[in-house]
Amino acid sequence: MTMLTLVFLLLLLAAPDAAAGPLDHPGYAKAFSCSACHGFAGNSRSATMPILAGMNTAYLKKALQDYASGMRPSPEMEPYSKMAIHLGVDDVAGYFAAQTKQPTPIAADAAAVARGRTASQVCVACHGPAGKGDPAKNVPDLTGQPAAYLAHQIQLFKADRRSPGDPALKQLKEVMKAVPDNQIADLAAYYSSLR
Amino acid sequence: MNVTRRQFLRTTGFGVAAVGALGGCAPALKGDFAPKTGKRVVVIGGGWGGATAAKYVRLGDPSIEVILLEPNKEFISCPFSNLVLSGIRTLDSMTFNYGRLRGHGVRIIHEAAGSIEPAAKRVRLGEGWLQYDKLIVSPGVEFQYEQVQGLREAGDRVLHAWKAGPQTVALANQLQSMQDGGVVVMSVPPVAYRCPPGPYERASQIAWYLKTKKPRSKLIVLDANPNVVSKTALFRKAWEAYPNLEFRGSNKVVKVDPGARTVTTELGDTVKYDVVNVIPPQRAGTIAVDADLVGADKRWCEVNHVTYESVKHKDIHVIGDSTIGLPVPKSGNVANAMGKISAAVVVAMLNGRPVPQMPPGNTCYSWVSDKEAIAVVNVYRIDNGKVVQIEQKLTPAQSPAVAANSLGWAQSIWNDVIG
Ligand SMILES: Cc1cc2nc3c(=O)[nH]c(=O)nc-3n(C[C@H](O)[C@H](O)[C@H](O)COP(=O)(O)OP(=O)(O)OC[C@H]3O[C@@H](n4cnc5c(N)ncnc54)[C@H](O)[C@@H]3O)c2cc1C
Ligand code: HEC
Ligand code: HEC
Repeated sequence: MTMLTLVFLLLLLAAPDAAAGPLDHPGYAKAFSCSACHGFAGNSRSATMPILAGMNTAYLKKALQDYASGMRPSPEMEPYSKMAIHLGVDDVAGYFAAQTKQPTPIAADAAAVARGRTASQVCVACHGPAGKGDPAKNVPDLTGQPAAYLAHQIQLFKADRRSPGDPALKQLKEVMKAVPDNQIADLAAYYSSLR
Repeated sequence: MNVTRRQFLRTTGFGVAAVGALGGCAPALKGDFAPKTGKRVVVIGGGWGGATAAKYVRLGDPSIEVILLEPNKEFISCPFSNLVLSGIRTLDSMTFNYGRLRGHGVRIIHEAAGSIEPAAKRVRLGEGWLQYDKLIVSPGVEFQYEQVQGLREAGDRVLHAWKAGPQTVALANQLQSMQDGGVVVMSVPPVAYRCPPGPYERASQIAWYLKTKKPRSKLIVLDANPNVVSKTALFRKAWEAYPNLEFRGSNKVVKVDPGARTVTTELGDTVKYDVVNVIPPQRAGTIAVDADLVGADKRWCEVNHVTYESVKHKDIHVIGDSTIGLPVPKSGNVANAMGKISAAVVVAMLNGRPVPQMPPGNTCYSWVSDKEAIAVVNVYRIDNGKVVQIEQKLTPAQSPAVAANSLGWAQSIWNDVIG
């Protein structure tokens, strides 16, 4: 047996849930399109596409509804959310919730993370001290998401371009408006680095 | 901005995988050179559709043996290859090996399938054959050189660069060595052809390159179609930045003369060039035509909208650019979707389970400068066994944010196809 074969077999043995099979979840046939952008099983490895694996179902469903209604503008997600809703949003959300989240492999700059930790005091009230969010209030888990995605969303909030005018997000947007531009990347790096 | 190949390899674990650990088959292609023991799926073509299908059959049911036939040793992505022409990216940054596919247990034979025998359920290779239970065919497009007089004889002197590879690099080199003040001519074939917005993305990239590096040069686009076929308003808007781009609709190129360096249109106009790019008219890959999978037009393959089974031959599923009749563009994104769908269908059929109803989706990003991109998104549903569009959506304007998303798309979908 070559070394590579051995490594490969060990990897196979270490793979979780070998019995169930990666495509056996009943929601897979409705969520398979999403991997073109969000990565296999929702574990995006890219800088700009958010990770969906392990996402809270209520938050995921709210996001899809907001995209479909046009409240949260996205030329990619408006059509795809309509497709997901047509196919069955509960099954799609259930599929991603059942996947194990693999945090982004893109490493964050240590100095930026440290600065972001200091700046994050204003976020803790809602996102919690560990950045895991609050499912009961539809506050998302920010940990391990790619920093570029997080930074882009903070910018959108700040400019009131994500769900513009949504009264439910008024408080959040006031906090965001007070975030100086040069802190956005730091906050994003910090939350991206959390596990 | 660029996700370099090395970064990509690092972040996905590409390259370290089981290159040569599995497979490594150098078959003597005689007789039944790989006798079938259990259930077997043979896949013809390791491009966007076929590579995806091969991988996903294995993910869906690892007890099924999957043999992929693909003559090329490397997978080179057509998406993003227009950016090689403008020097924004290297071809190397979109070239991948088949190691990860082998890691999924796909047996790869780097040979072209010779022919298909639907009745015997065999694929011919060299002097031998392979037996299959299900065959998935994704051979892409073939060029109809005969539609442009002088094109076949011109050989490498007139490039298509419509299958990413050496021709892409050769065309980039021609553009680079052209003197300032030169005229570049490119032709767009009549629909249906691979990647509807592709020629206009290419025109944008060449125009950007000329404007930046060779400001006295110009680009003439001779389009067989009356107008820009896809994302029309967005391309037209982008081209306001390129006064060096002259678009001529309803100007089908019917003749090329590399000696005189001219092309001739159907209207009889002769246009002189310094660099030429003729994108020839297209049809399904030759093996699909030879296997009688094409319709009366002898160009494209009609399939069932749910199973992708050929309407002409049982147990042969055709996917990707070779298909016709679904309201979808010939895109890598659609080929990838069809790969996943056909894999799920074939796994279900071989296990006697009900066939899933899985509609495809599509996104085509196009770069209109070195920094900005536009996109079109299509989503579909299945109505009474037919694929119908739910919605088509365009980006409101060109932007760097769309370009950033396109990089995310590329990384994710390359990984989905070949990772
Ligand atoms: C310049 C350009 C830009 C593009 N940009 C985009 C884009 O941004 N987004 C997008 O979604 N799409 C894009 N496309 C389209 C995309 O590349 C195609 O739609 C996609 O490649 C189709 O996949 P396929 O599997 O049908 O064919 P291919 O990917 O071409 O794969 C076919 C494979 O079959 C093999 N083959 C052929 N005959 C045989 C045989 N007899 N035996 C074995 N193997 C065989 C070939 O070697 C080839 O590898 C672009 C295309 C071009 C040319
Ligand atoms: C063409 C690429 C593409 C495809 C395919 C796609 N998405 Fe998205 N998705 C995006 C982008 C880009 C964003 C970020 C948009 C924004 O700025 O709000 C996003 C965001 C999301 C979000 C919000 C995440 C968050 O943290 O708030 C969810 C949920 C989501 N997508 C679900 C899906 C599902 C489910 C599918 C499949 C049905 C899908 N997406 C298919 C590109 C895509
Ligand atoms: C008042 C509560 C509140 C505060 C304070 C708050 N957030 Fe949020 N945050 C939310 C909610 C709620 C959402 C989800 C919004 C939605 O449903 O579209 C959110 C979403 C986000 C997102 C988008 C995540 C995704 O997956 O798309 C980011 C990034 C974010 N917050 C960062 C921050 C940062 C950084 C701070 C501190 C500067 C902060 N938030 C402070 C409530 C809050």
